[in-house]
Amino acid sequence: MSVVPASTSTALDLPQEGVVVVRRNDSRIRAGQGMVSGMLRVVAHFGASLVKVQNSKQDTMGIFTVQYPEERLLLPEASRQMPILLYEDKSGQELCTSCFQCERVCPPQVIHITQAKDPTTGKPVPAAEEFIIEYDTCMSCGYCAEVCPFDAIKMDHVYELATPNHISMDVHKRGLNRPISYYDMIAPTLWGQVRDQALKKLQNNVKRRSGNIGVAPQMQGKVGKATAAAAPRAANGGSTAPVAAKAPAAAAGKSMSADKLARLQAIRAAKAGGVVATVAEDEPTVVQAEAVTPETSTAAAVTASGPVAAIGKNMSPEKVARLEAIRAGNSAKHGG
Amino acid sequence: MYDISHFLLSWTGQSWLVTLVGYILTTTMILVVGPVGMMLFTWIERRGIGLMQDRKGPNRVGPFGLLQPISEAIKTMTKEDITPVGADRWVHFLAPVVMMASTVLAFAVIPLGKLYPSQINVGVLFIIGVSALHTLGMLMAGWGSNNKFALLGGMRAAAQMISYEIPQVMSLVVIVMWVGSMRVADVINHQSNGGLNLNWHIFTPVGALAALVFFISSLAEGERTPFDIPEADSEIVAGYMTEYSGMKFAVFYLANYMTNLAICAVTTAMFLGGGNGPGTSIPYLGGLLAIIYLIIKVVLLFWFMVVIRATVPRLRVDQLMSFAWKFLLPLALFNIFAMGVWIAITQWGADKGFGFLNSLVGQPGSVARTLTAFAVTLVLNAIAVLGALALYRGRTRSYLAQQVTAA
Repeated sequence: MSVVPASTSTALDLPQEGVVVVRRNDSRIRAGQGMVSGMLRVVAHFGASLVKVQNSKQDTMGIFTVQYPEERLLLPEASRQMPILLYEDKSGQELCTSCFQCERVCPPQVIHITQAKDPTTGKPVPAAEEFIIEYDTCMSCGYCAEVCPFDAIKMDHVYELATPNHISMDVHKRGLNRPISYYDMIAPTLWGQVRDQALKKLQNNVKRRSGNIGVAPQMQGKVGKATAAAAPRAANGGSTAPVAAKAPAAAAGKSMSADKLARLQAIRAAKAGGVVATVAEDEPTVVQAEAVTPETSTAAAVTASGPVAAIGKNMSPEKVARLEAIRAGNSAKHGG
Repeated sequence: MYDISHFLLSWTGQSWLVTLVGYILTTTMILVVGPVGMMLFTWIERRGIGLMQDRKGPNRVGPFGLLQPISEAIKTMTKEDITPVGADRWVHFLAPVVMMASTVLAFAVIPLGKLYPSQINVGVLFIIGVSALHTLGMLMAGWGSNNKFALLGGMRAAAQMISYEIPQVMSLVVIVMWVGSMRVADVINHQSNGGLNLNWHIFTPVGALAALVFFISSLAEGERTPFDIPEADSEIVAGYMTEYSGMKFAVFYLANYMTNLAICAVTTAMFLGGGNGPGTSIPYLGGLLAIIYLIIKVVLLFWFMVVIRATVPRLRVDQLMSFAWKFLLPLALFNIFAMGVWIAITQWGADKGFGFLNSLVGQPGSVARTLTAFAVTLVLNAIAVLGALALYRGRTRSYLAQQVTAA
């Protein structure tokens, strides 16, 4: 059995200086040499701190303070803070296809997606109508980013999320959207690995989208192609919200308050293929009346779109308006 | 001070004006030098120890964080002043006052360059006396707080101060023997020769040993690390200051740093030539130079204190006591003997029975006599220091061996 030297048996050999070997039971008389050498060491640190800054883990001399609000350490590329959604810089097209993979995998179930529908056909389109992440409950596990087949959801590096406004931690699509160039900036290597396949998949998905669907909210109006494509579609369908709203509102009578009228218009606009989720939030009576069974907890956003879709299928716009007026009247009588 | 009053007298011819201005200046010096120096010292300490520990230290308030003490003064002044239930109200209230008073009194005899606030003929004794009052303040704070940690801290303070005052005084005895006066001005003038003014006491073997013993004892007196057991924050919260908050705490803090300033100034005056240095013999410019030299010396001494604080861990109570009684005190006593030898060799002639030295090395006061005295005392003190180290270490080792066999 051979004796292994102590120096070779250490697993980790860090290039550090100033290793002090303590010899116990040393009977020499020492007139404070140890203290003096310690003081010289301290003075050396003092001098080094005046002139230099530590720039690596092995560097033991110089100031290591990072003056946080002004100075920040660069986070590693794979650092996970909060999930964000990516959209293409020029066209504004979002990479998300609302495949619900992230919503399914999310351990605290804080991701809520509504799939976009084509306004004319009513069929699903590979794009997200609304995308909500509850940042306050998100645990930054990064599963959503890992599972996403389209590289649409990624982990951001922003960690200063403290706010006095709790509800602002429910971040909607507009708040989640970031351009690809931003992610390329914070994680160039990681994005470089997936860049080509992600953009190729985006190309295929854009073919199946129409109008402004799938365009990041903050990019709408700025992108020439998308708005140009949307205009003829609106003319063709003949059911843009302002036009459709006029006649029924008049038919509904002058007894209705402006508030009710606004709600009516909103419902019609929604039926015509516009915003769904916001209307549902404003109209608790509709959800209640249609008696939608809450099947799954994740389907909150989906059920919101349910009633309007149901109304749209069975009734004409005039009927819906009348029904709505009656209901509103009832709820007013009951002191609602 | 003499220059200024002389100038005023010749200019106005009014002696009462000279007296008035003199008193105003003296009072201002005593009351302003301490607090301003304390502000500088806290800044030096915190920035210094920060740099020694690879940090930056306070750098937000004012340029380089120089106004940090002001912001802290505002903070402590606006805080609530709490007297604990069951405390001895008057003792609790008076403790910081006593601390502060003893510290300010010491500044009455500490010269600022060539400006002497008060020239009493027992200045050295006065310094020792008022610094002993300091201990009373700590004991009062510990007793009056109705808190076990405060009481422990106060008791530790009393034990430590009493122990370390003895070697401190013994090392000052050497200087008094040499100078032949207790007046601080005489001690400082003794260290100037009209030329380079570099014949400071610390440059002789006896003076160096005395300075070492005095400085170490003063560290204990000012509760500096490694002798900060009265306020050992990892053991007894904050020691005697535990129950103090707001302005009273600030007064303790102020008194502590002013004590450190006084220690540095006294060490400078006794051993490092006060304001003496090259060029201080020039009539008017010399006075200004003396102030600058003094400030440099005091700041460097305090910086050395900070280095010690950054290097040495706190002593245990028994280590503290044995170090004072078994190491410092014998050395200080032996140093008095060495000073006797020095005086005999340099000054005594045939009338004192040392006529044989006249033929061997020369007349009293000659350079040869001084050199001989230097060599003899160097050997004596070297033997003393090494012997004391060996004995002290041997005692420590046998004590440790007993502990090991007992365990």
